[in-house]
Amino acid sequence: MISQHLSYKPRFHSSWTAIASPPTLPTQPDPGGSLGFYGSSQTRATQAVNSMVSLRGVSKVFPNGSLVLRDVDLEVRPGEFVFVTGVSGAGKSTLLRLLYGAEQATRGTVVVDQVCLFSSEGRRPYRIPPRPLAMLRRRLGVVFQDYRLLANRTLGENVAFVLRAQGLSPAEIRRRIGPTLKMVGLTEKRDRFPHELSGGEQQRLSLARAIVNMPVLLLADEPTGNLDPENSLLVLQILERLNSFGVTIIMTSHDPYLVERAGHRVVRIEGGHLYDMR
Amino acid sequence: MWALSRFFNKILYLLQETGLGLRRGGWLNWAAVSTLLVLLFLVGISIQLSWGVDATVQSLGGQLEISVYLEPERQAVDLQPQVTQLPHVAEVKVITKDQAWRTLLLEMGIEDEEAIQTQLGDNPLVDAMRVKADSTEALGEVAAHLRQLEGVDQVYYGDQVVQQLAQIQEMLRLGSLGITGVLALTAVAVITTTIRLIVMARRREIEVMQLVGATAAWIYLPFILQGCLFGVISALGAWGLVLGSQQLLQELLEKLIAFPFLKVIQADSNQLEFWFLPLMLLGMGVFLGTSSSLIAVRKSTSR
Ligand SMILES: Nc1ncnc2c1ncn2[C@@H]1O[C@H](COP(=O)(O)OP(=O)(O)OP(=O)(O)O)[C@@H](O)[C@H]1O
Ligand SMILES: [Mg+2]
Repeated sequence: MISQHLSYKPRFHSSWTAIASPPTLPTQPDPGGSLGFYGSSQTRATQAVNSMVSLRGVSKVFPNGSLVLRDVDLEVRPGEFVFVTGVSGAGKSTLLRLLYGAEQATRGTVVVDQVCLFSSEGRRPYRIPPRPLAMLRRRLGVVFQDYRLLANRTLGENVAFVLRAQGLSPAEIRRRIGPTLKMVGLTEKRDRFPHELSGGEQQRLSLARAIVNMPVLLLADEPTGNLDPENSLLVLQILERLNSFGVTIIMTSHDPYLVERAGHRVVRIEGGHLYDMR
Repeated sequence: MWALSRFFNKILYLLQETGLGLRRGGWLNWAAVSTLLVLLFLVGISIQLSWGVDATVQSLGGQLEISVYLEPERQAVDLQPQVTQLPHVAEVKVITKDQAWRTLLLEMGIEDEEAIQTQLGDNPLVDAMRVKADSTEALGEVAAHLRQLEGVDQVYYGDQVVQQLAQIQEMLRLGSLGITGVLALTAVAVITTTIRLIVMARRREIEVMQLVGATAAWIYLPFILQGCLFGVISALGAWGLVLGSQQLLQELLEKLIAFPFLKVIQADSNQLEFWFLPLMLLGMGVFLGTSSSLIAVRKSTSR
Protein backbone atom coordinates (compact mmCIF):
# COMPACT_ATOMS: atom_id res chain seq x y z
CA MET A 1 0.00 0.00 0.00
CA ILE A 2 2.68 2.43 1.03
CA SER A 3 4.93 1.48 -1.85
CA GLN A 4 2.42 2.96 -4.28
CA HIS A 5 3.04 6.32 -2.79
CA LEU A 6 6.79 6.21 -2.72
CA SER A 7 6.84 8.70 -5.55
CA TYR A 8 5.07 11.10 -3.29
CA LYS A 9 7.93 13.17 -1.98
CA PRO A 10 7.03 16.68 -1.02
CA ARG A 11 9.81 19.16 -1.54
CA PHE A 12 10.85 21.02 1.52
CA HIS A 13 13.37 23.76 1.29
CA SER A 14 13.87 23.38 -2.39
CA SER A 15 16.55 25.59 -3.86
CA TRP A 16 14.01 26.71 -6.46
CA THR A 17 12.02 28.43 -3.76
CA ALA A 18 15.03 30.25 -2.47
CA ILE A 19 15.97 31.54 -5.90
CA ALA A 20 12.61 32.28 -7.41
CA SER A 21 10.82 33.89 -4.53
CA PRO A 22 11.46 37.51 -3.68
CA PRO A 23 12.99 38.42 -0.35
CA THR A 24 10.90 36.76 2.28
CA LEU A 25 10.50 40.02 4.09
CA PRO A 26 10.22 43.47 2.66
CA THR A 27 13.48 45.33 2.50
CA GLN A 28 12.44 48.88 2.79
CA PRO A 29 14.70 51.57 4.17
CA ASP A 30 14.23 52.07 7.86
CA PRO A 31 13.05 55.51 8.82
CA GLY A 32 13.88 54.94 12.49
CA GLY A 33 17.66 54.44 12.26
CA SER A 34 19.83 51.81 13.91
CA LEU A 35 17.30 50.03 16.07
CA GLY A 36 15.60 49.18 12.95
CA PHE A 37 13.66 47.16 10.63
CA TYR A 38 16.66 45.47 9.08
CA GLY A 39 17.82 44.05 12.37
CA SER A 40 14.45 42.86 13.43
CA SER A 41 13.55 41.48 10.03
CA GLN A 42 16.77 39.49 9.97
CA THR A 43 16.06 37.79 13.25
CA ARG A 44 12.53 37.14 12.14
CA ALA A 45 13.68 35.80 8.83
CA THR A 46 16.04 33.42 10.57
CA GLN A 47 13.22 32.21 12.72
CA ALA A 48 11.02 31.83 9.69
CA VAL A 49 13.58 29.59 7.98
CA ASN A 50 12.79 26.83 10.44
CA SER A 51 9.06 27.33 10.17
CA MET A 52 6.52 26.23 7.67
CA VAL A 53 4.13 28.86 8.97
CA SER A 54 5.04 31.90 10.98
CA LEU A 55 2.48 34.41 12.20
CA ARG A 56 3.81 37.35 14.20
CA GLY A 57 1.51 39.80 15.93
CA VAL A 58 -1.16 39.21 13.35
CA SER A 59 -4.46 41.06 13.64
CA LYS A 60 -7.38 40.81 11.29
CA VAL A 61 -10.15 43.38 11.21
CA PHE A 62 -12.74 43.09 8.46
CA PRO A 63 -13.84 46.26 6.67
CA ASN A 64 -17.18 46.02 8.49
CA GLY A 65 -15.30 46.43 11.74
CA SER A 66 -15.47 42.89 13.09
CA LEU A 67 -12.20 42.06 14.80
CA VAL A 68 -11.49 38.37 14.29
CA LEU A 69 -7.85 37.94 15.27
CA ARG A 70 -5.88 40.12 17.64
CA ASP A 71 -2.14 39.99 17.94
CA VAL A 72 -1.85 36.31 17.13
CA ASP A 73 1.49 34.44 17.12
CA LEU A 74 1.83 31.00 15.59
CA GLU A 75 4.82 28.92 14.57
CA VAL A 76 4.34 25.65 12.73
CA ARG A 77 7.43 23.58 11.97
CA PRO A 78 7.75 21.51 8.80
CA GLY A 79 6.18 18.10 9.21
CA GLU A 80 3.89 19.14 12.04
CA PHE A 81 0.21 18.21 12.30
CA VAL A 82 -1.83 20.97 13.89
CA PHE A 83 -5.50 21.11 14.79
CA VAL A 84 -7.17 24.50 14.93
CA THR A 85 -10.30 24.50 17.08
CA GLY A 86 -12.76 27.06 18.28
CA VAL A 87 -16.46 27.75 18.27
CA SER A 88 -18.25 28.61 15.06
CA GLY A 89 -17.33 32.12 14.01
CA ALA A 90 -14.16 32.13 16.09
CA GLY A 91 -12.00 32.78 13.05
CA LYS A 92 -10.59 29.39 12.07
CA SER A 93 -11.33 29.80 8.38
CA THR A 94 -10.05 33.35 8.49
CA LEU A 95 -6.75 32.13 9.92
CA LEU A 96 -6.34 29.63 7.07
CA ARG A 97 -7.35 32.21 4.49
CA LEU A 98 -4.55 34.44 5.70
CA LEU A 99 -2.15 31.58 5.04
CA TYR A 100 -3.13 31.00 1.42
CA GLY A 101 -3.52 34.68 0.68
CA ALA A 102 -7.27 34.83 0.15
CA GLU A 103 -7.47 37.33 2.96
CA GLN A 104 -4.98 39.99 3.95
CA ALA A 105 -3.89 40.63 7.52
CA THR A 106 -4.50 44.05 8.99
CA ARG A 107 -1.32 44.07 11.05
CA GLY A 108 1.61 41.80 11.70
CA THR A 109 3.74 39.49 9.60
CA VAL A 110 2.61 36.35 7.75
CA VAL A 111 5.30 34.02 6.39
CA VAL A 112 4.47 30.69 4.75
CA ASP A 113 7.16 28.31 3.49
CA GLN A 114 9.69 31.15 3.66
CA VAL A 115 7.58 33.46 1.55
CA CYS A 116 6.28 36.61 3.17
CA LEU A 117 2.62 37.20 2.33
CA PHE A 118 2.13 40.29 4.41
CA SER A 119 4.08 42.49 6.72
CA SER A 120 3.11 45.77 8.30
CA GLU A 121 6.59 46.36 9.68
CA GLY A 122 7.92 48.58 6.95
CA ARG A 123 6.99 52.18 6.45
CA ARG A 124 4.25 50.97 4.16
CA PRO A 125 2.61 47.54 4.54
CA TYR A 126 4.08 44.91 2.25
CA ARG A 127 1.71 42.71 0.33
CA ILE A 128 2.86 39.80 -1.81
CA PRO A 129 2.46 40.53 -5.54
CA PRO A 130 0.13 38.27 -7.57
CA ARG A 131 2.82 36.21 -9.28
CA PRO A 132 4.82 35.11 -6.23
CA LEU A 133 1.50 34.41 -4.53
CA ALA A 134 0.50 32.10 -7.40
CA MET A 135 3.87 30.36 -7.14
CA LEU A 136 3.44 29.90 -3.39
CA ARG A 137 -0.07 28.53 -3.85
CA ARG A 138 1.31 25.82 -6.12
CA ARG A 139 3.15 24.45 -3.12
CA LEU A 140 0.05 24.51 -0.94
CA GLY A 141 -3.00 22.30 -0.86
CA VAL A 142 -6.28 23.72 0.35
CA VAL A 143 -9.45 21.90 1.32
CA PHE A 144 -12.10 24.60 1.29
CA GLN A 145 -14.84 24.53 3.86
CA ASP A 146 -17.40 24.92 1.06
CA TYR A 147 -15.53 22.41 -1.20
CA ARG A 148 -15.63 24.69 -4.26
CA LEU A 149 -16.12 21.75 -6.61
CA LEU A 150 -16.92 22.51 -10.23
CA ALA A 151 -20.41 21.20 -10.86
CA ASN A 152 -20.09 20.79 -14.62
CA ARG A 153 -16.90 18.71 -14.47
CA THR A 154 -16.46 15.10 -13.55
CA LEU A 155 -14.58 13.97 -10.50
CA GLY A 156 -11.47 13.24 -12.53
CA GLU A 157 -11.67 16.60 -14.31
CA ASN A 158 -12.10 18.40 -11.01
CA VAL A 159 -8.83 16.94 -9.81
CA ALA A 160 -7.07 17.48 -13.14
CA PHE A 161 -8.26 21.07 -13.14
CA VAL A 162 -5.74 22.02 -10.46
CA LEU A 163 -2.80 20.64 -12.40
CA ARG A 164 -4.04 22.17 -15.63
CA ALA A 165 -4.28 25.54 -13.92
CA GLN A 166 -0.69 25.11 -12.83
CA GLY A 167 0.41 24.40 -16.38
CA LEU A 168 1.32 20.71 -16.18
CA SER A 169 1.34 18.58 -19.32
CA PRO A 170 -1.60 16.25 -20.06
CA ALA A 171 0.68 13.22 -19.70
CA GLU A 172 1.87 14.32 -16.28
CA ILE A 173 -1.69 15.06 -15.22
CA ARG A 174 -2.85 11.59 -16.28
CA ARG A 175 0.06 10.05 -14.39
CA ARG A 176 -0.87 11.76 -11.14
CA ILE A 177 -4.64 11.37 -11.07
CA GLY A 178 -4.75 7.61 -10.56
CA PRO A 179 -2.69 7.46 -7.35
CA THR A 180 -4.44 10.51 -5.92
CA LEU A 181 -7.92 9.08 -6.43
CA LYS A 182 -6.75 5.78 -5.01
CA MET A 183 -5.50 7.50 -1.91
CA VAL A 184 -8.95 8.96 -1.14
CA GLY A 185 -10.74 5.82 -2.35
CA LEU A 186 -12.62 7.34 -5.27
CA THR A 187 -11.03 5.44 -8.16
CA GLU A 188 -14.33 3.84 -9.17
CA LYS A 189 -16.20 7.13 -9.42
CA ARG A 190 -13.87 9.26 -11.47
CA ASP A 191 -16.43 9.81 -14.24
CA ARG A 192 -19.22 10.92 -11.92
CA PHE A 193 -20.23 14.51 -11.45
CA PRO A 194 -20.09 16.12 -7.98
CA HIS A 195 -23.86 16.09 -7.58
CA GLU A 196 -23.78 12.34 -8.09
CA LEU A 197 -21.58 11.92 -5.02
CA SER A 198 -22.50 11.63 -1.36
CA GLY A 199 -21.48 14.41 1.01
CA GLY A 200 -18.59 12.37 2.33
CA GLU A 201 -17.41 11.55 -1.17
CA GLN A 202 -17.56 15.21 -2.12
CA GLN A 203 -15.44 15.99 0.89
CA ARG A 204 -12.90 13.37 -0.10
CA LEU A 205 -12.93 14.73 -3.64
CA SER A 206 -12.01 18.17 -2.36
CA LEU A 207 -9.24 16.52 -0.37
CA ALA A 208 -8.01 14.76 -3.51
CA ARG A 209 -7.93 18.05 -5.31
CA ALA A 210 -5.90 19.58 -2.51
CA ILE A 211 -3.21 16.91 -2.52
CA VAL A 212 -2.85 16.16 -6.22
CA ASN A 213 -0.19 18.83 -6.65
CA MET A 214 1.96 17.27 -3.89
CA PRO A 215 1.81 20.21 -1.52
CA VAL A 216 4.34 20.81 1.24
CA LEU A 217 1.61 22.34 3.37
CA LEU A 218 -1.99 21.18 3.49
CA LEU A 219 -4.58 23.61 4.82
CA ALA A 220 -7.77 21.67 5.50
CA ASP A 221 -10.82 23.64 6.58
CA GLU A 222 -13.25 21.27 8.29
CA PRO A 223 -12.38 18.30 6.10
CA THR A 224 -14.57 16.15 8.31
CA GLY A 225 -17.33 18.71 8.77
CA ASN A 226 -20.33 16.77 7.50
CA LEU A 227 -19.09 13.25 8.05
CA ASP A 228 -20.13 10.45 10.33
CA PRO A 229 -17.48 9.26 12.80
CA GLU A 230 -16.38 6.46 10.51
CA ASN A 231 -15.80 8.68 7.52
CA SER A 232 -14.18 11.33 9.70
CA LEU A 233 -11.70 8.76 10.83
CA LEU A 234 -11.07 7.74 7.24
CA VAL A 235 -10.23 11.30 6.26
CA LEU A 236 -8.07 11.70 9.35
CA GLN A 237 -6.17 8.57 8.39
CA ILE A 238 -5.53 9.93 4.90
CA LEU A 239 -4.21 13.15 6.36
CA GLU A 240 -2.02 11.25 8.80
CA ARG A 241 -0.60 9.19 5.98
CA LEU A 242 0.24 12.38 4.10
CA ASN A 243 1.79 13.73 7.27
CA SER A 244 3.94 10.64 7.54
CA PHE A 245 5.37 11.50 4.11
CA GLY A 246 6.41 14.84 5.53
CA VAL A 247 3.52 17.08 4.54
CA THR A 248 2.77 19.75 7.10
CA ILE A 249 -0.91 19.72 7.97
CA ILE A 250 -3.07 22.40 9.49
CA MET A 251 -6.64 21.29 9.96
CA THR A 252 -9.61 22.98 11.55
CA SER A 253 -12.22 20.94 13.34
CA HIS A 254 -15.34 21.18 15.47
CA ASP A 255 -15.17 17.64 16.57
CA PRO A 256 -13.67 17.38 20.09
CA TYR A 257 -13.75 13.62 19.93
CA LEU A 258 -11.69 13.52 16.76
CA VAL A 259 -9.22 16.09 18.03
CA GLU A 260 -8.83 14.22 21.29
CA ARG A 261 -8.36 10.91 19.59
CA ALA A 262 -5.78 12.11 17.07
CA GLY A 263 -3.32 13.25 19.68
CA HIS A 264 -1.67 15.97 17.63
CA ARG A 265 -0.88 19.55 18.52
CA VAL A 266 -3.99 21.63 19.13
CA VAL A 267 -4.43 25.40 19.05
CA ARG A 268 -7.66 27.10 19.97
CA ILE A 269 -9.02 30.43 18.83
CA GLU A 270 -11.11 32.22 21.40
CA GLY A 271 -12.07 35.86 21.47
CA GLY A 272 -9.53 36.64 18.79
CA HIS A 273 -6.64 35.11 20.74
CA LEU A 274 -4.80 31.93 19.92
CA TYR A 275 -4.12 29.47 22.73
CA ASP A 276 -1.82 26.49 22.55
CA MET A 277 -3.80 23.62 24.09
CA ARG A 278 -1.44 20.72 23.52
CA MET B 1 13.31 19.15 -25.84
CA TRP B 2 11.76 19.80 -22.43
CA ALA B 3 11.24 23.42 -23.31
CA LEU B 4 9.66 22.48 -26.63
CA SER B 5 7.18 20.10 -25.06
CA ARG B 6 6.35 22.71 -22.44
CA PHE B 7 5.73 25.17 -25.25
CA PHE B 8 3.38 22.81 -27.10
CA ASN B 9 1.66 22.02 -23.87
CA LYS B 10 0.98 25.72 -23.39
CA ILE B 11 -0.27 26.19 -26.95
CA LEU B 12 -2.55 23.18 -26.59
CA TYR B 13 -3.95 24.51 -23.34
CA LEU B 14 -4.48 27.94 -24.86
CA LEU B 15 -6.35 26.52 -27.86
CA GLN B 16 -8.49 24.23 -25.72
CA GLU B 17 -9.47 27.02 -23.37
CA THR B 18 -10.15 29.42 -26.22
CA GLY B 19 -12.36 26.80 -27.83
CA LEU B 20 -14.21 26.43 -24.55
CA GLY B 21 -14.68 30.18 -24.41
CA LEU B 22 -16.08 30.19 -27.93
CA ARG B 23 -18.53 27.44 -27.04
CA ARG B 24 -19.60 29.37 -23.95
CA GLY B 25 -20.06 32.50 -26.03
CA GLY B 26 -22.64 30.94 -28.36
CA TRP B 27 -24.56 33.58 -30.25
CA LEU B 28 -22.64 36.35 -28.58
CA ASN B 29 -19.67 35.39 -30.72
CA TRP B 30 -21.74 36.27 -33.76
CA ALA B 31 -22.75 39.60 -32.32
CA ALA B 32 -19.11 40.44 -31.73
CA VAL B 33 -17.85 39.20 -35.08
CA SER B 34 -20.61 40.77 -37.15
CA THR B 35 -20.30 44.19 -35.54
CA LEU B 36 -16.60 44.17 -36.15
CA LEU B 37 -17.13 42.81 -39.64
CA VAL B 38 -19.52 45.61 -40.62
CA LEU B 39 -17.06 48.16 -39.30
CA LEU B 40 -14.13 46.69 -41.18
CA PHE B 41 -16.19 46.28 -44.34
CA LEU B 42 -17.19 49.94 -44.34
CA VAL B 43 -13.62 50.99 -43.62
CA GLY B 44 -12.42 48.84 -46.49
CA ILE B 45 -15.01 50.24 -48.90
CA SER B 46 -14.33 53.83 -48.01
CA ILE B 47 -10.60 53.31 -48.37
CA GLN B 48 -11.13 51.82 -51.80
CA LEU B 49 -13.44 54.66 -52.77
CA SER B 50 -11.04 57.34 -51.70
CA TRP B 51 -8.25 55.58 -53.55
CA GLY B 52 -10.50 55.61 -56.60
CA VAL B 53 -11.25 59.30 -56.29
CA ASP B 54 -7.57 60.12 -55.78
CA ALA B 55 -6.62 58.14 -58.84
CA THR B 56 -9.35 59.83 -60.88
CA VAL B 57 -8.23 63.27 -59.86
CA GLN B 58 -4.69 62.34 -60.81
CA SER B 59 -5.61 61.07 -64.24
CA LEU B 60 -8.00 63.95 -64.96
CA GLY B 61 -5.11 66.37 -64.80
CA GLY B 62 -3.96 65.36 -68.25
CA GLN B 63 -7.42 65.40 -69.76
CA LEU B 64 -8.88 68.70 -68.65
CA GLU B 65 -8.44 71.48 -71.12
CA ILE B 66 -8.88 75.22 -70.88
CA SER B 67 -10.76 76.72 -73.77
CA VAL B 68 -9.65 80.27 -74.60
CA TYR B 69 -11.76 82.44 -76.91
CA LEU B 70 -10.15 85.55 -78.34
CA GLU B 71 -11.68 88.90 -79.15
CA PRO B 72 -12.78 89.24 -82.79
CA GLU B 73 -10.01 90.36 -85.12
CA ARG B 74 -7.36 88.74 -82.88
CA GLN B 75 -5.23 85.98 -84.37
CA ALA B 76 -4.58 82.96 -82.13
CA VAL B 77 -1.23 82.33 -83.77
CA ASP B 78 0.02 85.68 -82.46
CA LEU B 79 -0.85 84.82 -78.88
CA GLN B 80 0.40 81.24 -78.97
CA PRO B 81 4.08 81.89 -78.07
CA GLN B 82 3.03 84.10 -75.16
CA VAL B 83 0.67 81.43 -73.81
CA THR B 84 3.27 78.71 -74.15
CA GLN B 85 5.58 80.79 -71.94
CA LEU B 86 3.08 80.80 -69.03
CA PRO B 87 3.93 78.61 -66.04
CA HIS B 88 2.29 75.14 -65.84
CA VAL B 89 1.22 75.18 -69.45
CA ALA B 90 1.84 71.80 -71.00
CA GLU B 91 0.35 72.12 -74.44
CA VAL B 92 -1.32 74.77 -76.61
CA LYS B 93 -3.44 73.97 -79.60
CA VAL B 94 -4.66 76.69 -81.95
CA ILE B 95 -8.07 76.52 -83.57
CA THR B 96 -8.62 79.26 -86.07
CA LYS B 97 -12.11 80.55 -86.67
CA ASP B 98 -11.98 79.12 -90.20
CA GLN B 99 -11.26 75.62 -88.87
CA ALA B 100 -13.98 75.95 -86.30
CA TRP B 101 -16.52 77.21 -88.84
CA ARG B 102 -15.66 74.43 -91.20
CA THR B 103 -16.10 71.82 -88.51
CA LEU B 104 -19.36 73.35 -87.46
CA LEU B 105 -20.74 73.45 -90.99
CA LEU B 106 -19.67 69.88 -91.55
CA GLU B 107 -21.43 68.88 -88.39
CA MET B 108 -24.53 70.70 -89.60
CA GLY B 109 -24.47 68.56 -92.72
CA ILE B 110 -23.23 71.11 -95.27
CA GLU B 111 -20.65 69.18 -97.15
CA ASP B 112 -20.59 71.03 -100.41
CA GLU B 113 -17.15 72.66 -100.73
CA GLU B 114 -18.58 75.49 -102.81
CA ALA B 115 -21.13 76.37 -100.19
CA ILE B 116 -18.54 76.23 -97.46
CA GLN B 117 -16.33 78.68 -99.28
CA THR B 118 -19.11 81.20 -99.68
CA GLN B 119 -20.23 80.77 -96.10
CA LEU B 120 -16.72 81.38 -94.80
CA GLY B 121 -17.02 85.05 -95.57
CA ASP B 122 -19.80 85.40 -93.01
CA ASN B 123 -17.93 83.47 -90.32
CA PRO B 124 -19.30 84.69 -86.95
CA LEU B 125 -16.80 82.73 -84.90
CA VAL B 126 -13.55 83.84 -83.23
CA ASP B 127 -10.13 82.23 -82.99
CA ALA B 128 -9.67 79.88 -80.04
CA MET B 129 -6.97 77.93 -78.22
CA ARG B 130 -7.06 74.69 -76.24
CA VAL B 131 -4.57 74.87 -73.37
CA LYS B 132 -3.56 71.88 -71.24
CA ALA B 133 -2.02 72.30 -67.80
CA ASP B 134 0.60 69.97 -66.37
CA SER B 135 -1.56 69.11 -63.36
CA THR B 136 -5.13 69.39 -62.19
CA GLU B 137 -4.26 71.74 -59.37
CA ALA B 138 -2.61 74.19 -61.80
CA LEU B 139 -5.73 74.57 -63.95
CA GLY B 140 -7.13 77.47 -62.01
CA GLU B 141 -3.84 79.34 -61.96
CA VAL B 142 -3.28 78.93 -65.70
CA ALA B 143 -6.85 80.04 -66.40
CA ALA B 144 -6.32 83.16 -64.30
CA HIS B 145 -3.17 84.03 -66.23
CA LEU B 146 -4.93 83.52 -69.51
CA ARG B 147 -7.76 85.85 -68.55
CA GLN B 148 -5.28 88.66 -68.02
CA LEU B 149 -3.77 88.38 -71.48
CA GLU B 150 -4.65 91.14 -73.89
CA GLY B 151 -6.96 90.01 -76.66
CA VAL B 152 -8.50 87.19 -74.63
CA ASP B 153 -12.24 87.39 -74.39
CA GLN B 154 -13.46 84.26 -72.57
CA VAL B 155 -11.79 81.43 -70.67
CA TYR B 156 -13.59 78.19 -69.80
CA TYR B 157 -12.43 75.06 -68.10
CA GLY B 158 -13.95 72.11 -66.27
CA ASP B 159 -13.64 73.63 -62.85
CA GLN B 160 -17.02 72.28 -61.75
CA VAL B 161 -15.78 68.74 -62.27
CA VAL B 162 -12.66 69.35 -60.25
CA GLN B 163 -14.56 71.04 -57.49
CA GLN B 164 -17.10 68.25 -57.34
CA LEU B 165 -14.36 65.68 -57.11
CA ALA B 166 -12.70 67.60 -54.32
CA GLN B 167 -16.04 67.70 -52.52
CA ILE B 168 -16.47 63.97 -52.88
CA GLN B 169 -13.01 63.45 -51.49
CA GLU B 170 -13.79 65.61 -48.51
CA MET B 171 -17.14 63.96 -47.90
CA LEU B 172 -15.62 60.54 -48.11
CA ARG B 173 -12.95 61.48 -45.64
CA LEU B 174 -15.33 63.00 -43.10
CA GLY B 175 -18.02 60.38 -43.56
CA SER B 176 -15.73 57.41 -43.22
CA LEU B 177 -13.99 58.96 -40.23
CA GLY B 178 -17.29 59.55 -38.46
CA ILE B 179 -18.72 56.13 -39.24
CA THR B 180 -15.46 54.43 -38.33
CA GLY B 181 -15.37 56.20 -34.99
CA VAL B 182 -18.93 55.35 -34.03
CA LEU B 183 -18.70 51.76 -35.23
CA ALA B 184 -15.35 51.20 -33.57
CA LEU B 185 -16.86 52.23 -30.25
CA THR B 186 -19.82 49.92 -30.85
CA ALA B 187 -17.54 47.03 -31.75
CA VAL B 188 -15.42 47.55 -28.65
CA ALA B 189 -18.55 47.69 -26.49
CA VAL B 190 -19.99 44.50 -27.98
CA ILE B 191 -16.75 42.51 -27.75
CA THR B 192 -16.08 43.74 -24.23
CA THR B 193 -19.57 42.69 -23.16
CA THR B 194 -19.21 39.30 -24.82
CA ILE B 195 -15.90 38.51 -23.18
CA ARG B 196 -17.04 39.85 -19.84
CA LEU B 197 -20.15 37.66 -19.90
CA ILE B 198 -18.01 34.61 -20.61
CA VAL B 199 -15.65 35.56 -17.79
CA MET B 200 -18.66 35.94 -15.49
CA ALA B 201 -20.03 32.57 -16.54
CA ARG B 202 -16.70 31.00 -15.61
CA ARG B 203 -16.17 33.05 -12.47
CA ARG B 204 -16.26 30.07 -10.15
CA GLU B 205 -13.66 28.23 -12.17
CA ILE B 206 -11.48 31.29 -12.36
CA GLU B 207 -11.69 31.73 -8.61
CA VAL B 208 -10.58 28.16 -8.02
CA MET B 209 -7.81 28.55 -10.58
CA GLN B 210 -6.52 31.60 -8.75
CA LEU B 211 -6.68 29.80 -5.42
CA VAL B 212 -4.63 26.86 -6.67
CA GLY B 213 -1.91 29.03 -8.15
CA ALA B 214 -2.73 29.83 -11.75
CA THR B 215 -1.09 33.02 -12.96
CA ALA B 216 -3.17 35.85 -14.35
CA ALA B 217 -1.70 35.33 -17.81
CA TRP B 218 -2.58 31.62 -17.72
CA ILE B 219 -6.17 32.43 -16.77
CA TYR B 220 -6.81 35.37 -19.05
CA LEU B 221 -4.73 34.70 -22.15
CA PRO B 222 -7.46 32.45 -23.63
CA PHE B 223 -9.91 35.35 -23.38
CA ILE B 224 -7.44 37.71 -25.03
CA LEU B 225 -6.88 35.17 -27.77
CA GLN B 226 -10.62 34.90 -28.25
CA GLY B 227 -10.89 38.66 -28.79
CA CYS B 228 -7.96 38.51 -31.18
CA LEU B 229 -9.70 35.69 -33.05
CA PHE B 230 -12.82 37.83 -33.42
CA GLY B 231 -10.60 40.40 -35.08
CA VAL B 232 -9.01 37.94 -37.49
CA ILE B 233 -12.30 36.37 -38.54
CA SER B 234 -13.97 39.74 -39.04
CA ALA B 235 -11.05 41.06 -41.07
CA LEU B 236 -11.09 38.03 -43.37
CA GLY B 237 -14.85 38.28 -43.81
CA ALA B 238 -14.71 42.01 -44.43
CA TRP B 239 -12.02 41.63 -47.04
CA GLY B 240 -14.02 38.97 -48.82
CA LEU B 241 -17.03 41.26 -48.85
CA VAL B 242 -14.97 44.17 -50.15
CA LEU B 243 -13.63 42.04 -52.99
CA GLY B 244 -17.08 40.68 -53.75
CA SER B 245 -18.79 44.04 -53.75
CA GLN B 246 -16.36 45.88 -55.99
CA GLN B 247 -18.45 45.37 -59.13
CA LEU B 248 -21.59 46.46 -57.32
CA LEU B 249 -19.85 49.49 -55.94
CA GLN B 250 -18.68 50.52 -59.38
CA GLU B 251 -22.22 50.39 -60.75
CA LEU B 252 -23.61 52.21 -57.77
CA LEU B 253 -21.08 54.97 -58.19
CA GLU B 254 -21.91 55.48 -61.81
CA LYS B 255 -25.62 55.79 -61.04
CA LEU B 256 -25.35 57.92 -57.97
CA ILE B 257 -22.66 60.40 -58.80
CA ALA B 258 -22.82 60.17 -62.57
CA PHE B 259 -19.09 60.06 -62.94
CA PRO B 260 -18.56 57.30 -65.41
CA PHE B 261 -14.83 57.84 -65.31
CA LEU B 262 -14.67 57.41 -61.52
CA LYS B 263 -13.05 54.03 -61.06
CA VAL B 264 -12.89 51.80 -58.04
CA ILE B 265 -9.37 50.70 -58.60
CA GLN B 266 -8.78 47.02 -58.72
CA ALA B 267 -5.14 46.48 -58.05
CA ASP B 268 -3.88 43.05 -59.01
CA SER B 269 -2.41 40.66 -56.50
CA ASN B 270 1.15 41.13 -57.64
CA GLN B 271 1.15 44.70 -56.47
CA LEU B 272 1.97 45.66 -52.93
CA GLU B 273 -1.10 47.85 -52.93
CA PHE B 274 -3.33 44.82 -53.25
CA TRP B 275 -2.12 43.50 -49.91
CA PHE B 276 -2.26 46.81 -48.16
CA LEU B 277 -6.02 46.73 -47.61
CA PRO B 278 -6.31 43.22 -46.14
CA LEU B 279 -3.31 43.85 -43.92
CA MET B 280 -4.81 47.08 -42.71
CA LEU B 281 -8.16 45.42 -41.99
CA LEU B 282 -6.39 42.59 -40.20
CA GLY B 283 -4.33 44.99 -38.10
CA MET B 284 -7.38 47.01 -37.19
CA GLY B 285 -9.46 43.94 -36.37
CA VAL B 286 -6.78 42.35 -34.23
CA PHE B 287 -6.13 45.62 -32.44
CA LEU B 288 -9.79 46.25 -31.66
CA GLY B 289 -10.51 42.62 -30.69
CA THR B 290 -7.48 42.29 -28.48
CA SER B 291 -7.84 45.61 -26.74
CA SER B 292 -11.54 45.03 -26.12
CA SER B 293 -10.88 41.72 -24.41
CA LEU B 294 -8.06 43.34 -22.45
CA ILE B 295 -10.53 45.93 -21.23
CA ALA B 296 -12.98 43.13 -20.38
CA VAL B 297 -10.56 41.15 -18.22
CA ARG B 298 -8.68 44.11 -16.78
CA LYS B 299 -11.16 44.52 -13.96
CA SER B 300 -11.12 40.84 -13.06
CA THR B 301 -7.37 40.49 -12.75
CA SER B 302 -7.28 41.40 -9.08
CA ARG B 303 -7.23 38.37 -6.83
N1 LIG C 1 -15.59 38.84 4.54
C1 LIG C 1 -15.99 39.06 5.80
N2 LIG C 1 -16.43 40.27 6.18
C2 LIG C 1 -16.82 40.51 7.43
N3 LIG C 1 -16.80 39.61 8.40
C3 LIG C 1 -16.37 38.37 8.10
C4 LIG C 1 -15.95 38.03 6.79
N4 LIG C 1 -15.59 36.74 6.79
C5 LIG C 1 -15.77 36.29 8.03
N5 LIG C 1 -16.24 37.25 8.84
C6 LIG C 1 -16.53 37.15 10.26
O1 LIG C 1 -15.38 36.69 10.91
C7 LIG C 1 -15.71 35.77 11.92
C8 LIG C 1 -14.89 34.49 11.74
O2 LIG C 1 -15.31 33.83 10.57
P1 LIG C 1 -14.69 32.44 10.17
O3 LIG C 1 -15.29 32.01 8.88
O4 LIG C 1 -13.23 32.53 10.21
O5 LIG C 1 -15.22 31.53 11.33
P2 LIG C 1 -14.94 29.99 11.57
O6 LIG C 1 -14.20 29.87 12.84
O7 LIG C 1 -14.34 29.38 10.37
O8 LIG C 1 -16.40 29.46 11.76
P3 LIG C 1 -17.02 28.05 11.32
O9 LIG C 1 -16.58 27.06 12.31
O10 LIG C 1 -18.48 28.27 11.37
O11 LIG C 1 -16.55 27.77 9.95
C9 LIG C 1 -17.20 35.57 11.86
O12 LIG C 1 -17.78 36.29 12.88
C10 LIG C 1 -17.59 36.13 10.53
O13 LIG C 1 -18.85 36.74 10.64
MG1 LIG D 1 -14.92 28.12 8.92
